[in-house]
Amino acid sequence: MHLATMFNSNLAVILLILATPLLMTLTPSPLKNWAIRVKTAIQTAFFASLFQLSLFLTQGLHTTTTSWHWMKISTFNISLSFKFDFYSIIFIPVALYVSWSILEFALWYMHADPRMDQFFKYLLVFLITMIILVTANNLYQLFIGWEGVSIMSFLLISWWYGRADANTAALQAVIYNRVGDIGLILSMTWFVMNLNTWEIEQTFSFLNDTPTTLPLLGLILAATGKSAQFGLHPWLTAAMEGPTPVSALLHSSTMVVAGIFLLIRFHPLIAQNPTALTICLCLGALSTMFAATCALTQNDLKKIVAFSTSSQLGLMMVTIGLNQPQLAFLHICTHAFFKAMLFLCSGSIIHDFKDEQDIRKLGHVHALLPFTSACMVVGSLALTGMPFLSGFFSKDAIIEAMNTSYLNAWALTLTLLATSFTAVYNFRITFYALMNFPRCIFLPPPKEDYSPVRNPIKRLAWGSILAGFLITLNCPKTETPILTMPMTLKLSALLVTILGLLSAMWLKTLMNKLPNKSPASNTMTQKSKIPMDNPAKIIFNFSNLTGYIPTIMHRMAPKANLTMGQLMATQLMDQTWLEISLPKGITSSQLPLTKLTSDIPRGMVMTYLTTFIFTTLLSTLLLILTQPDLPILT
Amino acid sequence: MLKILIPTLMLLPTTWLSSPKWLWTTTTAQSLMIASLSLTWLKRSAEPGWLTLNSYLAIDPLSTPLLVLTCWLLPLMIMASQNHISPEPINRQRMYISLLISLQVFLIMAFGATEIILFYVMFEATLIPTLAIITRWGNQAERLNAGTYFLFYTLVGSLPLLIALLILQKDVGTLSMLLIQYSPPTLLPSWTNKIWWAACLLAFLVKMPLYGIHLWLPKAHVEAPIAGSMVLAAVLLKLGGYGMMRMVILLDPLTKELAYPFIILALWGAIMTGSTCLRQTDLKALIAYSSVSHMGLVVGGILIQTPWGFTGAIILMIAHGLVSSALFCLANTVYERTNTRTLLITRGMQTLLPLTATWWFIASLANLALPPFPNLTGEMAIMASLFYWSEWTLILTGLAALITIIYTMYMFMTTQWGPVPPSMNNIEPPHSREHLLISLHLIPILLLILKPELVWGWYY
Amino acid sequence: MNPYVLMILISSLGIGTTLTFMSSHWLLAWMGLEINTLAIIPLMAQQHHPRAVEATTKYFLTQATAAAMILFASTTNAWMTGEWNIQQLSHSPSTTLVTFALALKIGLAPMHFWMPEVMQGLDLTTGLIMATWQKLAPFAIIYQISSTTNPTLLTTLGILSTLVGGWGGLNQTQLRKILAYSSIAHMGWMIIILQFMPKLTLLNLMIYIIMTSAMFMMFKYNNATKINYLTLTWSKSPVLATLTMPMLLSLGGLPPLTGFMPKWLILQELTKQNLAITASIMALATLLSLFFYLRLCYAMTLTLSPNTTNTSSTWRIKSPQMTMPLATISTLTIMLLPITPTIFSLIM
Repeated sequence: MHLATMFNSNLAVILLILATPLLMTLTPSPLKNWAIRVKTAIQTAFFASLFQLSLFLTQGLHTTTTSWHWMKISTFNISLSFKFDFYSIIFIPVALYVSWSILEFALWYMHADPRMDQFFKYLLVFLITMIILVTANNLYQLFIGWEGVSIMSFLLISWWYGRADANTAALQAVIYNRVGDIGLILSMTWFVMNLNTWEIEQTFSFLNDTPTTLPLLGLILAATGKSAQFGLHPWLTAAMEGPTPVSALLHSSTMVVAGIFLLIRFHPLIAQNPTALTICLCLGALSTMFAATCALTQNDLKKIVAFSTSSQLGLMMVTIGLNQPQLAFLHICTHAFFKAMLFLCSGSIIHDFKDEQDIRKLGHVHALLPFTSACMVVGSLALTGMPFLSGFFSKDAIIEAMNTSYLNAWALTLTLLATSFTAVYNFRITFYALMNFPRCIFLPPPKEDYSPVRNPIKRLAWGSILAGFLITLNCPKTETPILTMPMTLKLSALLVTILGLLSAMWLKTLMNKLPNKSPASNTMTQKSKIPMDNPAKIIFNFSNLTGYIPTIMHRMAPKANLTMGQLMATQLMDQTWLEISLPKGITSSQLPLTKLTSDIPRGMVMTYLTTFIFTTLLSTLLLILTQPDLPILT
Repeated sequence: MLKILIPTLMLLPTTWLSSPKWLWTTTTAQSLMIASLSLTWLKRSAEPGWLTLNSYLAIDPLSTPLLVLTCWLLPLMIMASQNHISPEPINRQRMYISLLISLQVFLIMAFGATEIILFYVMFEATLIPTLAIITRWGNQAERLNAGTYFLFYTLVGSLPLLIALLILQKDVGTLSMLLIQYSPPTLLPSWTNKIWWAACLLAFLVKMPLYGIHLWLPKAHVEAPIAGSMVLAAVLLKLGGYGMMRMVILLDPLTKELAYPFIILALWGAIMTGSTCLRQTDLKALIAYSSVSHMGLVVGGILIQTPWGFTGAIILMIAHGLVSSALFCLANTVYERTNTRTLLITRGMQTLLPLTATWWFIASLANLALPPFPNLTGEMAIMASLFYWSEWTLILTGLAALITIIYTMYMFMTTQWGPVPPSMNNIEPPHSREHLLISLHLIPILLLILKPELVWGWYY
Repeated sequence: MNPYVLMILISSLGIGTTLTFMSSHWLLAWMGLEINTLAIIPLMAQQHHPRAVEATTKYFLTQATAAAMILFASTTNAWMTGEWNIQQLSHSPSTTLVTFALALKIGLAPMHFWMPEVMQGLDLTTGLIMATWQKLAPFAIIYQISSTTNPTLLTTLGILSTLVGGWGGLNQTQLRKILAYSSIAHMGWMIIILQFMPKLTLLNLMIYIIMTSAMFMMFKYNNATKINYLTLTWSKSPVLATLTMPMLLSLGGLPPLTGFMPKWLILQELTKQNLAITASIMALATLLSLFFYLRLCYAMTLTLSPNTTNTSSTWRIKSPQMTMPLATISTLTIMLLPITPTIFSLIM
């Protein structure tokens, strides 16, 4: 009993530890080294969370607590309710560990920023909302965390708010997320109206008798927005305008997986609904393929990593579609480590090379920043699914599960292709950025032996190597794994990866033939070497311009909307029709009468008397005509 | 009731007799005391039914939050006006404050009235002080046009209401809200009754305002001085919602079918006015159109006539009252410093006024209905009740929510972010008065998160 | 004018009206009307400029016509029914004739044409008498014949007057003409309720007289005859300028001001008679009048006009005029609505 109490109150302890630095800022005098305290707080919180984790692992405790009835409309209750199960208990330490590393890195990365304390405050608030999100058992509570993370991402993307690019990226993020929110709102309204509850647990008890496709579609839409699935994906790459620690924390390891996490939470519902599963599968396959394709030809270091995040998110979605939420969750956790590390490494490189992000201008990093390069390679390998690094445990299992399932072959093919592309773009980063000779001036020479650079990356590197193994070891299997399968199937993930690597190396030999400039400038400045009708060129353009999606979604759609807002809503309706039909219409209909009334009497006595006599006669006549029996004379 | 009303009336002697030096201080202090005294109403509003009855006035859970909001707003209006009114001659300052006070008196009597006809008279009575505030203390020549629009739109809507009320009195024999619910009029779906139905609601739909008859609102907001904008957005629009909720329960069998076009129009209007916001260049017009957009949702929630709809409507009204008033105050702080409301000129404020930027941020978040702000609770409840009526409405409400976030964030970004134009280099630092003003708007909103039942109206 | 003559004229003015009040006999009532008319004629023409004379002539001709018609109609009635009593006007063509004659006298549309032009030729004091006192005698008769009049006729006259009063005033910049049209509109309200509840006609007349007197006295205090002049009131008598706004809106019938009281009661009575459409038309027609009252408000109270109008600036000296009556009557104009029940019970 006491154990359970301690187990449940652990979250309160974590939140209290995290909130302490925030509360400290309420003192009137400014605090020194506040940012470091934030880092320490997160570190402490991580260790505190290990307690809960260990209880979970040893005792298998998992609970749902409802603590406070918040509001009540008629028979409908909203209460504060937390759920501590496998997912939340594992995710909190992972998130705290990653955040701890990233914040420590940010101490170095942001040290010249005058508003560093504020930056840490934002990150801290973000972390708190993220924890609210993962522990919520109530949809409303989840929605608070859900919106909280998207607003914090809005603020953090636009950290350098003087830049128009950053502002645009932030707005993009918030808009795409809001499109997803409509889905969440749809599901919430559906749940409240049909099941009269927002408790996630309780919704599962109505499984059998209600068709749940509509709310599930809403949830999938929500996940599409938040986890940047195909259609609502462009914000994720645009979000790279933010500082690198932000990209590492929000846009790779924590916030973006919230969508997948939501679907994992609702898995018991999804599992019952084949339509939803198929949609997840196809959407995920499309996303992972598309993002991987786009990543192939990008030249911006952070963008490539961002597209790879997008691609991995697609893979997680595929896993949901495969009805394997645990694998998806596993991939979330392992992905958090190596992707955060990749971003930190990129951040280190970018910072040292004076904000140079273009991989064509980098190079020779392996000699200048050997430690960073080594970790970057580890991260890349983990990402590609190198055996026995942590990515392998999740990715390989996913591909395996897919191969042994009887689901959509199209989705399977796309996912396999995307997996091989992972190897290609990772090879590309390594080849361009780390190897060869330097292609830009770097003075003073880069240094990486600061502890806030090395320690976090090192910590995450250990995570990238070990986390998969550790989590898999402790992960309770709910479904029986398929024990026998052909060798080819078992090795297929590895095979396609190696295939991708080989083809990438082969592509390198063709490197000179592929244009490295972006297509837009290419057509402007020089004659392209490959004519336009060449399919390679078309594919290159498609990939480099990220599938023309930004053009369509960011040029045409807003233009159409804004034009509609201007022409139809403002000019046509408000300024023309509504004016004409009411105020101006009434005015103009009254004007002639007004004129008439003031024009008739022209100061002539004749007019007065004529109207008088005429009116009198007329009405008398009418009177007589209408009442024929009237005694007039006699 | 008189505990609040008489001190409010006694504000008038305070205004006219206090020495010029202390004018603003005393009036603010006294009105703030009245406001805190009015909070006691909230304590009892949890009980259903009418409370603190006297012959003409009473409170019930529906009117309580609106009454408290009214009382709360007066000190804020006085504080907000201080900067731009105090250079005027002392008598005009006193007149201005007296108008604000009279507005509060009328509003208290409107929300507290137990006779519908008293409500009507007070509903109309608020026009005169508001008209004077808009057209006498506005800044541009267009204010006269705005005043005319304001007065005539409202009157064209409300005169049929008067007739409709008199007919109701003739048929039922009483207009007391206490009694009429026991003998509601029997309504057959004849043409006469349908017209009567429309007449009963038209005044409130204009006041809300419903899309299509909303033209007066942006004009009035743009031209009004800050206190006028605040009271318009915070309370006067809510008169419409309050009146609708009072009337709609009497019109029961007819509303079910007749309300459909109005609901759709309101929701469509929420989208259209949202799109208009996207292209606004004028800060105050943007906030005004956003009010129209939110009120569209309220209209939908009321006309759908479910407990959820009503609850959502009253929550959204209160929350929107505080938030839009706060936004107008913020717009005014910009305006008082730069003398322009054009979005393109007032950029990069975060660099210059960081704390004000925080206020902007919180107010914007509340405006776009971020959880757990009560705005979201209200919108969710309305969306849910509309969704239950027809699933397709979610397309409209969802789009409206999307557009709301776009224009709110657009407003926030344009004013607060981006490079600082050189014209803004030497703007005045913010006053503590302004910070206090905005925090007095936002603190109630934040506190309402913790105890939302206070503003839940009937269905708690 | 010689004070003795003035005294005689004014007392005849009073006597004429009182005579009409008191008489139950058509002939005597007619005599009262004639005395009244004849007494005001010299008052109107006391300033010997052509406009005043023209106005006097027009007034004389119309009133004489009306009086002649009354005489004719009452004689016909007496001939047909043998009854000279005013309340016994049972012969319906005579009733119609009398109604029209009285309508001409008080200036109901479409017999209103003389009204604005006569008003425009008078000074403000005489205008005040014309708009208030001169309405009393005809209304005394109208009140007495109310039970026998033709309802359709009255409704038509009422609605038409309200509309014409609104439309006519919209185009004016002359204050006296505006007040004349406002008077026409108010007459419409009084006439329309006559058939259902004549007491309300009296109530409305009373309130109308209070409000109109307040307006005339205010204009008189400011020596204003055009909208232009009003724009400088704020510098001369700011309190009055402020008070004018509620006074004007009261004239337009906005609650919670006095002017709303008669309108409310009349609308209530109309709806009780199942005349909701008529009531709506009447109510909406007041908006037309309200528009030009609002314009006056704008000019006078709500804008601070710099002294660039083409009127000459007036001296800021303390006016020797008495302000007590103005103060009283403007208070009444604004604040009477809360005591509606008292007034109502007094009238009933």
